[in-house]
Amino acid sequence: MLKKIKVEDAVGKKLAHDITEIRPGEFKGAAFRTGHTVCNEDICHLQKLGKNHLYLIDLAEDEVHENQAASILASNLAGDGITWEDDPKEGKIGLHADLDGLLVVDTAALAAFNMVDEVMCASLHSHTLVKKGELVAATRAIPLVMKRSPVERAAAIASQSGGVFSVKALRKAKAGLVITGSEVYHGLIEDKFAPKLIAKISDLGSEVSGVVFAPDDDALIVEAIRTHLDNGCDLLLVSGGMSVDPDDVTRKAIRMAGADEVHYGAAALPGAMFLVAYIDGVPLLGVPACGLYHRITVLDLVLPRILAGKKIGKKELAFIGHGGLCKDCPECSYPHCPFGKGI
Amino acid sequence: MKSFAELLNESAAAHGHLCPGQVVGVRMAMLGCRLIGLNDPTRRDQIKKLLVYVEMDRCTADAVAYVTGVKLGRRSLKFMDYGIMAASFVNLESGKAYRVISTEEARSLAGVYAPEMEGKSAQQLAAYIRMPDSVLFRVQKVKVNVEACDLPGPTRSKVTCTRCGQVVRDCREVVENQQILCKPCTQNCYFSHAKEVAWPDMNWTPSPVKHISKKDYTQRAHNLLHIH
Repeated sequence: MLKKIKVEDAVGKKLAHDITEIRPGEFKGAAFRTGHTVCNEDICHLQKLGKNHLYLIDLAEDEVHENQAASILASNLAGDGITWEDDPKEGKIGLHADLDGLLVVDTAALAAFNMVDEVMCASLHSHTLVKKGELVAATRAIPLVMKRSPVERAAAIASQSGGVFSVKALRKAKAGLVITGSEVYHGLIEDKFAPKLIAKISDLGSEVSGVVFAPDDDALIVEAIRTHLDNGCDLLLVSGGMSVDPDDVTRKAIRMAGADEVHYGAAALPGAMFLVAYIDGVPLLGVPACGLYHRITVLDLVLPRILAGKKIGKKELAFIGHGGLCKDCPECSYPHCPFGKGI
Repeated sequence: MKSFAELLNESAAAHGHLCPGQVVGVRMAMLGCRLIGLNDPTRRDQIKKLLVYVEMDRCTADAVAYVTGVKLGRRSLKFMDYGIMAASFVNLESGKAYRVISTEEARSLAGVYAPEMEGKSAQQLAAYIRMPDSVLFRVQKVKVNVEACDLPGPTRSKVTCTRCGQVVRDCREVVENQQILCKPCTQNCYFSHAKEVAWPDMNWTPSPVKHISKKDYTQRAHNLLHIH
């Protein structure tokens, strides 16, 4: 229960909640923290913050304070790889990455959580690459005092699959590259693909164990793929030959190499002719030629997920469609843009 | 209690079709029974402990009745015409009672839980199977005062309507101006302009059942009518 008192009568009373101060462009934060005992000197400051009255709180048995509620919510929202401090600021608790990796959000559970009255949680998009310590989500109870039952219900929803948020470490893959194309193989043009792919793989903490060049010949492409597998590669990237020309035999070769699962076509531009296959459980990514031109393609959306241990199939490649259209900005700001931020 | 999948298949067959309401009803009944401590409500030793109040006459109501085994004729199923997707489950032995309410949020969240499904109904059906109870339902602990004349068991009272002579059972009579009346004789009746009529084939009877001893009459009647 809340009791309203005049600020002049609050001397000696403890504040029931943080009082926020905003100085435009300069500061936003708690001017006074919960539990602070109001003294004479504070009155003027409080009045300058627009506080002519304050609340005193007398919690009923079935009520919780916003700070306590925030703690309950945070503890249930946080899954593996998430850390948080039980020190609510202005009623909010931030959830932080406890390691470098891929943020995974149970978006259904998050939506269900936010459908509960009087609680909220906002987060970064699922599948965002995050660094240790980075803020990935924040939660709060909206009223100063709320009933215990909706907090408990929201907590149950949040914990349905071990927390709404988790950060998955990226495995350190041993990647094998196959660069296809007779024009490169025969030296008619210089290969530009391998350096780009090597950089992307290295940036994610994996290593490239070897690059094999192959002409547009299915048997030789198969041989190149098998060579990498025989060398113990646990990730394969095959570039080029993914299109519809008669010389494009890479897809056929991937099947011939033993792929037991092949998903061709992704709902992303650039990257429509992207391919994901699995050979004895080893993921193989078929990178179309758009990867040569565009800085960011569907590969940048899928590769981190593969390294985080996610299985990519038809559904995942289809769901990329919402937000899967790159705006091809003159100055690319990815990942701070909508590309790949759909479901 | 049988598995969710078994109960859903059987309930849908009994109801006539599989629909989102069936999923909600089966889960509502499973949760309600769990909350009041009955793990197999259709078992003979548990069926008499259970009363269920359904607050809607929709697909969900049939599923709740199927899973719990409650029946109107056994007086274990009570229909409360509230138009609310909810049912209360009462354990007559322990007095425990919980009201399980299907959330409106679940409808809004169907697309998030089953984004790959096409069509509203298919999406709801899949989503309601996937959602945890915490999303699909709200639960209230409630007190239900069950009057003696509402309990299962033999008829507890019979009175005669002073206006039409109709016998009224189980305290459903109405007293107006110190007169005992049946509900059709009051203004509060669902039909009007009642007029007794004759109808074709007035003397029809079921196939004759001859030479049946009193002893096995009940068993034969059950067999004939497929009552189980």
